[in-house]
Amino acid sequence: MRPSDIAFRLYLVALFTFVFLPILTSMVFSLNSDRFPTVPLGEFTTHWYKTAFSRPEVWTAFGNSLIVAVCAAALSTALGFVTAYTDFRYGFRFKPAYLALALLPPTIPLVIMGLAMLAWLGRLGISGTLSGIVVAHTVMGAPFAMAICRLRLSQMDPALEAAAWNLGASQWRAMRAVVIPFCLPALISAYCLTAAVSFDEFIVAWFVSGLNKTVPVMILEILQGNVDPQINAIGTVVFLTSMALVIVAQLLILRKTNA
Amino acid sequence: MTDTDPLVRFSGVRKTYGTFEAVKHLDLDIGRGEFVAIMGPSGCGKTTTLRMLAGLEEPTAGEITIDGKRMNEVSAHDRDTPLVWQSLALFPFLNVKENVEFGLKMRGVSKPDRHGRAMLWLERLGLKGFETRRIDQLSGGQRQRVALARSLVTEPRMLLLDEPLSALDAHLVIRMQGVLTRLQKELGITFVYVTHSQSEAFAMADRVVIMGHGEIAQIGKPQEIFRAPKNRFVAEFVGRNNILPGKTPGQEIVVAADRMQVSASDPGEGALPAEFLSEEFAGTGIICYFEGPEGVELKAQVTEDQLENLAPEPGQRFWLTWAPGAAHVMAGT
Amino acid sequence: MSKRFDAYPYVWRLPLLIWQGLFFVGPLILMVAMSFWLVRNYRMEPDFVLKNWDRMLGRDYFWNAYWVTLWRATLAGVLASLIAFPASYALAFRVSETTRRWAIFFLIVPFFTSYLVRVYAWQVLLAESGPINAVLGFGGLGPFTMLNSGFGAMVGYMTLVLPLVVILQTFSLAAIDRNLIEAAWNLGASPRETLFQVILPAARIGLILGATFAFILSFGDFVSPFYLGGSKPPTLSILIIDTTKSGQQWPRAAVVAIMMIATLFVAAFAAVGAAYGRRK
Repeated sequence: MRPSDIAFRLYLVALFTFVFLPILTSMVFSLNSDRFPTVPLGEFTTHWYKTAFSRPEVWTAFGNSLIVAVCAAALSTALGFVTAYTDFRYGFRFKPAYLALALLPPTIPLVIMGLAMLAWLGRLGISGTLSGIVVAHTVMGAPFAMAICRLRLSQMDPALEAAAWNLGASQWRAMRAVVIPFCLPALISAYCLTAAVSFDEFIVAWFVSGLNKTVPVMILEILQGNVDPQINAIGTVVFLTSMALVIVAQLLILRKTNA
Repeated sequence: MTDTDPLVRFSGVRKTYGTFEAVKHLDLDIGRGEFVAIMGPSGCGKTTTLRMLAGLEEPTAGEITIDGKRMNEVSAHDRDTPLVWQSLALFPFLNVKENVEFGLKMRGVSKPDRHGRAMLWLERLGLKGFETRRIDQLSGGQRQRVALARSLVTEPRMLLLDEPLSALDAHLVIRMQGVLTRLQKELGITFVYVTHSQSEAFAMADRVVIMGHGEIAQIGKPQEIFRAPKNRFVAEFVGRNNILPGKTPGQEIVVAADRMQVSASDPGEGALPAEFLSEEFAGTGIICYFEGPEGVELKAQVTEDQLENLAPEPGQRFWLTWAPGAAHVMAGT
Repeated sequence: MSKRFDAYPYVWRLPLLIWQGLFFVGPLILMVAMSFWLVRNYRMEPDFVLKNWDRMLGRDYFWNAYWVTLWRATLAGVLASLIAFPASYALAFRVSETTRRWAIFFLIVPFFTSYLVRVYAWQVLLAESGPINAVLGFGGLGPFTMLNSGFGAMVGYMTLVLPLVVILQTFSLAAIDRNLIEAAWNLGASPRETLFQVILPAARIGLILGATFAFILSFGDFVSPFYLGGSKPPTLSILIIDTTKSGQQWPRAAVVAIMMIATLFVAAFAAVGAAYGRRK
């Protein structure tokens, strides 16, 4: 190994440390007795978890987050899939504009999405409801779902669908018997990833949620008060949930594809 | 409808994509129980022709009939024209048996019946014991046979094949050619086989259709096309042909490389002087390349012994001759 | 004989148009319209006045926030690119393909993992009496004030954007044809010359894309400047939130939002031009 290789490796380790340090410390501090943690650490405790999860509003927030994530992920995945299929199968005028519409939402700053959604959903009368958050998260999640499904479709032999027609399947039947089974890993992957996006999103949710707070919105509001290690406890649960979802999502698309 | 009527008839069929004419004008009859190969260079319209027959493309003009019935507006899934795809297009998420059963399932055949028929065809194609294998666990030749079984399980009157052997190793190609010809004879159904490979077409087909630039260049038995190409396009496509000016202006004659004799000394009248360029070992012999009068490239097939005797050096002068019967006069250009 | 109307393609094409039209384009158009509306007695009334624009663009505090945001986002884009590059270079050229794949895998995870909690963790880590100052204290250094400063905000921005920038850079570097690099060596280029004459130009699109995304994300971020940067001076996103949440002045917040989108558009077009334009 060249000396420069060692330097590069050390650099990589430093970079990964920077990226993962906040996640790890949050987990460590959630089990540490100090209110203002420092080095050396205090004693081991599960106190913060007990305090946090004895509050009914924490459970309500987790319930809200779960409902929103389950619904928004389903809608995002459906929307992402039909869009990816359209891109895969058809060429038409204004397709670049169509694709821009599909992929643009993540480039709009969340604060702006929040403001625009707040005004718009208010007009529609669903501001302050969980449905409002679901709608907003679907807009934000669909592009990710679309990207995952499109990637999978690009691995599909275009003759596969035609082969189904050739063997007597109508277009609808071929969709059900061939395209969807082929894309199934990507659909599950997209579902997990968009659930994670929804589960973690707090700015737009904060704008439109009203009294129906999701977990990150609750964290945001606790943060505006004082330093409170309960956040580490709740945050650790949030980390583990979204990390699990993102890891499953990735494993499903990276899995040896037998196409 | 009698048995002598053609099974398939293309009349005046044209297919354009925007301004591109994939098929310009096609009149073709395909008989019952016939093995027809459609051959031509890439972009000649052969695959489009096959796809139109399967209903995957709709003709821009003209009519396609099967059994005398107009098919233009019939969707792909309402036809009985199974296709063996170049990529095979086996469903990777289904096992071998489920792949074979697919067409039956789409036609609403009951589960026990499906099972029975699928097993029959798997056995027939030597795939017994592979029913529950996944597609990616099969060899190239096995996949090929699964694709055949999947297409034949519905017992169609014709089978369409789109370059089905192009992905196989050379030794497997020969084996599969045997499997295909035997199947076609046994079943007595029509095979329409699209390929760019001469050896496949000539080895298997009863009749070969050569296509070029969206039109039929020649139709005939393999031997006819090989010995008597109708025009320059066919002669060049078939290869190993020498195209020479004929006796009258504008006329051209063609002499196959294996009918060309090479001599080191001028044998007299009719011999073409030519300079040796190089030799190439081809499976059946050695092809020697020469530069003839006016830079025309000439080919002659010789045996290894002959090559040793001639011991040609690049630039060395030889004379090429052929028997009068070996020359074929081409009709058009 | 004409073909029946086939509904199939439209079933796949229309959902996106309807949904994004209703819930993405709709809200943005409303926001633009809203910027011309008036607030009377804490209620918005549709109108067409330039008052909100006058009020916002005529104030120093808007322009201060604007330049601070622009400067910080630009700095974040440049810094993130510089910090990421050695790592991306190592991942692209100095490690096995398996290592690279796993590295990308683990960089994607934090990108989708609660940014807010990570920022909170930094708040604890960077505190005056926090773990980092404690460790530095063992070496006789510090304590340093790291929170509520430009430095704190920058740490937050890096937390947000570094994984993405490394991923984009690594992909573009790994996609360079190895023969190109070997040809440069073969022609006598030094490693330095190879880097500047071959590798950087060949990976240009990915490098610019990475910097642009870092800029876009930092430009719109509210959490880092608020919780780590101390919200003084405020950035545009903080301005939007203050104006919306406390002042009920949605139309004025809309003005800020439109200015932000316009800036991002210009930046994105400049980036595309730089990435795909002809080199001089």
